[in-house]
Amino acid sequence: MATPAVGATEPVTTTAAPKTAKTKKPPGQKPPWWLWFAIAAIVVFCLAPFYWLINVSLKTGPDLSGSAIVPPNPTLDNYQSVFQNDDFIRALLNSAIVSLTTTFLALLVGSFCAYALARLKFPMKFALLALVLSITTFPPIAIATPVFKLWSDIGLFNTLPGLIIPYLTFALPLAIYILVSFFKEIPKDLEEAALVDGATRFQAFYKIVIPLAAPGLATAGILTFISAWNEFLFAVTLTSTPDARTVPAAIAFFTGSTEFEEPLGTISAASIIISIPLILLVLLFQKRIVAGLTAGAVKG
Amino acid sequence: MEAASIKAGTPKGRRSRGTSERRLAAYMVSPSLLLIALVAAYPIGYAVWLSLHEYSVRVAGLSRWAGLDNYSTALSDPEFWDAVQNTFIFTAGSVTFEVIIGMGMALAMHSAFRGQGLLRTVVLVPWAVLTVVTAMMWRTIFDPTLGLVNSILGTDIVWLGESPHAMIVMIIADVWKTAPFMALLLLAGLQVIPGEIYEAAKVDGATMWQRFSRITLPLLMPALLVALIFRTLDALRIFDLPFVLTKGTHGTNTLSLEAYQTFTANNIIGLGAALAVLTFIIVMAVSFLYIRFVGGNIRGLAEE
Amino acid sequence: MSKRFLFLLCAALACAVLVAACGDDGDGGGGGAGTEETGSTEGVKAVDPASMEGATGEVTYCSGKDTSGDLKETIAEFNEANPDLKVTLVEFPEDAQQQHDQFVQRQKAKSGDCDGFEEDVVWTAEFASQKWLLDMSDYIETRKDDFIPSTLETVTFDGKVFGAPRASDAGMMYYRTDQVKEFPATWQALYEQAAANDGLVYQGSAYEGLTVDFLEYAFAAGGTVLSEDGTKSTINSEENIGALQFMADGIKNGAAPKAVTTMTEEPARRTWEAGKATFMRNWSYCYALSQKAPNVKGKFAVAPYPEYEGGGKAAVLGGHNMVISAYSENPGGTLKFIDYATSPERIAKNASKYSKTPTIGAAFDDPAVKKAMPFAEALREGVENAKSRPVSPVYPQISEAIFKNVNAALSGSTTPEEALKQADSDINEALATF
Repeated sequence: MATPAVGATEPVTTTAAPKTAKTKKPPGQKPPWWLWFAIAAIVVFCLAPFYWLINVSLKTGPDLSGSAIVPPNPTLDNYQSVFQNDDFIRALLNSAIVSLTTTFLALLVGSFCAYALARLKFPMKFALLALVLSITTFPPIAIATPVFKLWSDIGLFNTLPGLIIPYLTFALPLAIYILVSFFKEIPKDLEEAALVDGATRFQAFYKIVIPLAAPGLATAGILTFISAWNEFLFAVTLTSTPDARTVPAAIAFFTGSTEFEEPLGTISAASIIISIPLILLVLLFQKRIVAGLTAGAVKG
Repeated sequence: MEAASIKAGTPKGRRSRGTSERRLAAYMVSPSLLLIALVAAYPIGYAVWLSLHEYSVRVAGLSRWAGLDNYSTALSDPEFWDAVQNTFIFTAGSVTFEVIIGMGMALAMHSAFRGQGLLRTVVLVPWAVLTVVTAMMWRTIFDPTLGLVNSILGTDIVWLGESPHAMIVMIIADVWKTAPFMALLLLAGLQVIPGEIYEAAKVDGATMWQRFSRITLPLLMPALLVALIFRTLDALRIFDLPFVLTKGTHGTNTLSLEAYQTFTANNIIGLGAALAVLTFIIVMAVSFLYIRFVGGNIRGLAEE
Repeated sequence: MSKRFLFLLCAALACAVLVAACGDDGDGGGGGAGTEETGSTEGVKAVDPASMEGATGEVTYCSGKDTSGDLKETIAEFNEANPDLKVTLVEFPEDAQQQHDQFVQRQKAKSGDCDGFEEDVVWTAEFASQKWLLDMSDYIETRKDDFIPSTLETVTFDGKVFGAPRASDAGMMYYRTDQVKEFPATWQALYEQAAANDGLVYQGSAYEGLTVDFLEYAFAAGGTVLSEDGTKSTINSEENIGALQFMADGIKNGAAPKAVTTMTEEPARRTWEAGKATFMRNWSYCYALSQKAPNVKGKFAVAPYPEYEGGGKAAVLGGHNMVISAYSENPGGTLKFIDYATSPERIAKNASKYSKTPTIGAAFDDPAVKKAMPFAEALREGVENAKSRPVSPVYPQISEAIFKNVNAALSGSTTPEEALKQADSDINEALATF
């Protein structure tokens, strides 16, 4: 492969029979026994602590002080009180808005920058790439207070855009990286052909390159969405009322009846509730990734 | 359509396109640059500015120029070097296990069988749980009297109260949470390795291990490196986990935590800012080393 | 290539620094160097009690999440009785540190976001020395006799009063009546009983709570933390070493389980409610909760701390005070609200209805309060005899010096002598903070 690329895809165009780009075992051959064992181990590894969370969410009161593996008096009280909490519902809405907007904008802004890096000629490319990567080196602590001050001065404190902008910025490095490598793997002659036909560079970009890079966009999209959804530090620093608070910050407000009480039950219930949309989204998206990959193989 | 032939087809010498390309590039790159300047560069610049002064904790409004004093204070503090050590130990430990476990997960997910989609979703469950909640969850699982681990093992080890146990718990919690991230990136990389290569290798009599080490690993290297560098940089800045689990005690004090404690909790602004900047420099240095020794790819990315 | 990049990066950074420097209008007074200050609260503005008359407008009161609901009720009733003023509540997260950081953040930005704030008792010195609070001495002077003196100590700094105590708290000893026939008269006897039964749980994790617990022993043993004038550490004393040794031995011989070194309030309560401890040191909030726990319900009682052999009795004061931000645009209105919220009737109601520990002596005599809180007498004794934690603008560092080293001694990684020697040097270093 001519271009050593940091990226998830090798040219899918090398094969004459596109369907086999995805490694499939010929039908009729069963997976080896140890594979099942590995899979079982993976499932246990991933789900056991999650099960523990569910376990705690079904307990209330003194049961929470116990260590029973199965709740002795399972109850949906915690879930009920979470849903009855208007602030929490509001926070769910805020989280959805912020995360979706961040993802969309990150893909938009990131793909622009990535395309320029992958295809266009301009000076100091390496510097730009390194600069983008260096953002991931910033300790969030150092960022939070100055941004708070800046936002307070220009009125973005306690607003959704006030959260979206930092989230977007910190999502860029990974998004740009993934997209640059996907873009580079798309054969240039497709765009060249379009240019010859009279399209502008930009048109070639969004009509040809973007569709072919769908799996990269999907991957970058999921990861951005999840990090925006889960982000805690900025959410707590840059919001002060339920109007703009997202779910992670709202959970910090979950209380028992006194200042010391740590309501593990409701916190666990809330965590389960907010994990579910993520899990569903992943379930949907990952079909897209696979479809995108095989589609790319066919088109090539 | 061979990839090799595409390279040859790159039109050269279209000089007239040069300026319009540059202009387009400027437009396309500027939103990113603007965001970076606002949200990343300005705060770091501010932090550097703060670190060059000392701000009185006792008397309001009193400050004085400190030059590099804060830096020399920080660098001669054994606690700082402890934090450096802890941070690197944590990073090495968690990234290593994440790679191993993530690779295993990716390989298993890659093998075709029914229910593969479901498995992929299961694998992303840890990644979907909030970091703060994850930390709380692991804290209760490792509780000395009421936790799951002690009741299963029948011991009464105070996990989060001893070193190195506390670090071990922290690594376990982090690996649980982020191995899926690794797995996802590696899986995407695995998906596009053409199957014929394996078939051909099998025909040639390669063992499973040979297939893995000679085919999979090299072809997966680019994806692996991307995942590695991002995970390493994340691990070096870890904050949520030690904050909730141990508040930095018993050998789990990390650089970010140390900076937070000084800057926010103790309100020693100058020194705290210096610690944040030092953290930034250290992480930056690590990423440079990566690029230099491991990521010739990065240069390749930037090449036309 | 990388050399060029390095140069560009430095150039970019330098630009960013310049921009920041221009924009820096003083995070704690950045630009102006060398302002000569003698007393740290010299020049602090005072709020005039007369400004309460005819105060109108809006007041924002910031507090940690109002879990009991008494603050919300107070605000609602005040708003009804004062149509010209409107008080709104802005809630900060549960966690005390986060409340601290949220308030500090706003004060650093000189924002009038919070007119009033519900501060933890240990933050007064820190906030006052940064001139973030208004001087309330004139107002408090008019009602000095209302408040329990120990609570007033927590709002006093540099000779001035900076807040009004709204809720207090003192730790108490919970004990199982089915295992303890007679409540021990001394700490030493208590530890013996604990070792013979299921042990004592307390807050031994490396956090502020451990500072409180340790000082309860240390003060009782006759030790101190700071010298009279607050300029030197006195923690490395015989009395303190003795107290710490006593605590550490307690863990070694099983009077307290080793797990206490990671316990905060809640884990201790959970262990206690699971029936796994004979004694528990905790705040008053556990009383109502433990009444609902099947393993301990009806089987426990509370008492004030016993005496320390060779010393005396001591408790450490907790609680919250109402303070006014120096950047408030409606100090008169805020003061009026504070006046209402800390009135004897309101405080008594908080106690009888919401089990908040009163800061006003008269409230303890209220029959409704006595009925709602059967342990009121024990609590009152605790509050009246309680000592404050060291009052200093660098309290966070002093506390860290204490809890880090005490925790190390308790978990066995150092000896009490070494621990307190280290704490001594840490505290002196903290006191030398610029």
